[in-house]
Amino acid sequence: MTPLLFEAQNAPLWKELESALDRAENKRPPKQRDKTATKVKPVPLDGARLAELYRRSCEHLALAQARAYPIHLTQRLESLTQRAHRLIYRHHDYGLGRLKQLVLVDFPQSVRAHRWYLLAATLLFVVPMLAVGWATWRDPGFILHLADAQQAQEFDGMYDENARAFGRTRDASTDWQMFGFYVMHNIGIGFQCFAGGLFAGIGSVFFLVFNGVQIGGVAGYLTARGHSENFYSFVATHGAFELTAIVLSGAAGLRLGYALLAPGRRTRLEALKHAAGDAITVIYGVIGMLVAAAAVEAFWSSARWLEPAVKYGAGALCWVLVIAYLGWQGRPLPRSGASDAG
Amino acid sequence: MSLDTLYTAETPEGIALSLRPAGVVPRVLAYMVDLGVRLGVYLAVSMVAIPFGGMGRGLLLVTYFLLEWFYPVVFELMRAGATPGKRMFGLQVVMDSGLPVTPAASITRNLLRAADFFPFLYAFGLVSMLLRRDFKRLGDLAGGTLVVYRETVALHGELPAAPATAPARALAPREQAAIVAWAGRASRLTPARLDELAVLARSITPAGEAEREGDATRQLLGVAQWLVGHRRGGNR
Repeated sequence: MTPLLFEAQNAPLWKELESALDRAENKRPPKQRDKTATKVKPVPLDGARLAELYRRSCEHLALAQARAYPIHLTQRLESLTQRAHRLIYRHHDYGLGRLKQLVLVDFPQSVRAHRWYLLAATLLFVVPMLAVGWATWRDPGFILHLADAQQAQEFDGMYDENARAFGRTRDASTDWQMFGFYVMHNIGIGFQCFAGGLFAGIGSVFFLVFNGVQIGGVAGYLTARGHSENFYSFVATHGAFELTAIVLSGAAGLRLGYALLAPGRRTRLEALKHAAGDAITVIYGVIGMLVAAAAVEAFWSSARWLEPAVKYGAGALCWVLVIAYLGWQGRPLPRSGASDAG
Repeated sequence: MSLDTLYTAETPEGIALSLRPAGVVPRVLAYMVDLGVRLGVYLAVSMVAIPFGGMGRGLLLVTYFLLEWFYPVVFELMRAGATPGKRMFGLQVVMDSGLPVTPAASITRNLLRAADFFPFLYAFGLVSMLLRRDFKRLGDLAGGTLVVYRETVALHGELPAAPATAPARALAPREQAAIVAWAGRASRLTPARLDELAVLARSITPAGEAEREGDATRQLLGVAQWLVGHRRGGNR
């Protein structure tokens, strides 16, 4: 068959596909011709017909390539099939339902799927925190290894009895400003913990240990200086979200790093892609938790008018809720599990 | 062909889509434009927000955070699949399967910007892009995404009209393809160059006088027309 005959025979089919694609792609902004659009209802797109046209064009493209038909013809078919391919295989389930599924099932499930990474990240964070905390508690001067004297004074000022609100320097102002600061700063730290995993996990390890050391140092120092009630009542509540989220993003980063180091039966790149696809679900949850932490930290933790006992109570409740959510939310019902087995 | 940076993605139907990955320079330029846009938005918000005191400053910090991390995500998930800077340079973010970018992939590639930026000024990202044929930075590697040119270049057009003539001998498929491809580029080559190439194929065109410039071209175009299926003198 000559190219000319081929084109003459199949051009109507390509035309049909082309116009169907035009309609499907331009369906989204119909505002321009509202008046005419209300009168002349466009015929709804026939998905089955579109799929058929697409498959026929794929066939034609393969033939045209194999028979070395003129390149303008092949290119026309290529761009047609490419457009149709994008239209047919695109994903489109990003609604509120997807979000609900994410919060109720996917996020806690994927946290549990990463439990060994989570354990490693927790140890990397908690062990340095406790060690440095203990060292600074024994000898408050140890803080000078981590911060200079002026910063140490600032820590004192943030939590002493005369502080206007806990956890901030005297010149820093309202709750809203602190909320903005916490969002920017803390979520940034979370993302760094994750992204650092791309360097064979070393970055994640570094950020986890670094943050553990910092927090442990400050906590030990403030305890030794006698600000323990102010400090612990400050951190108890938002810590439930913030510390967990930092550890979670570190765990997600470790997942990336481990995929690069030990890719298993995939190539390293494939393993990385696969791991990132899993880990990103954890990061979605981390973002939510860090925003919650920022709000709690800015509006609740820093409030002076709340009794420490109330804050401890709320803090304990939040820790229990977070751990219960991550541990049990989204598990299949026992009954349906039994019926599956039977 | 090996000089080309074309990236082929295979579809489930077994056909190969070719994508043209964009290199460092247009992407850096697009980044600059986006940086300008982000700076503009930030300044505009700050002018409105600062008079509101603490709450305004809080809003400003949140704006900064969103611009820093989610500005590209929002635009990549829109129909164009590109930030304003990328759109300006005709670029687009797609999955490496040729499909529109998914939210998970877009968030992955943009959060991992932090790794690309390391240790300064996107050094790792640049190295990664320069080392790879498909110009992926680290975030693209993990997200499975690709930055491509939206439009394909049309180097080949319709064959110019000429009276169809049968070739002097039977042609192998590769020879046929070469002649048809030569004719398809007629609109983009100078007549002199076209003729120069046509003279190389003298043995194919029917023996005859080719004294004047352009004769060889005309005759070879005739052969090309014959090859694509025209039979009785240029009937188009």
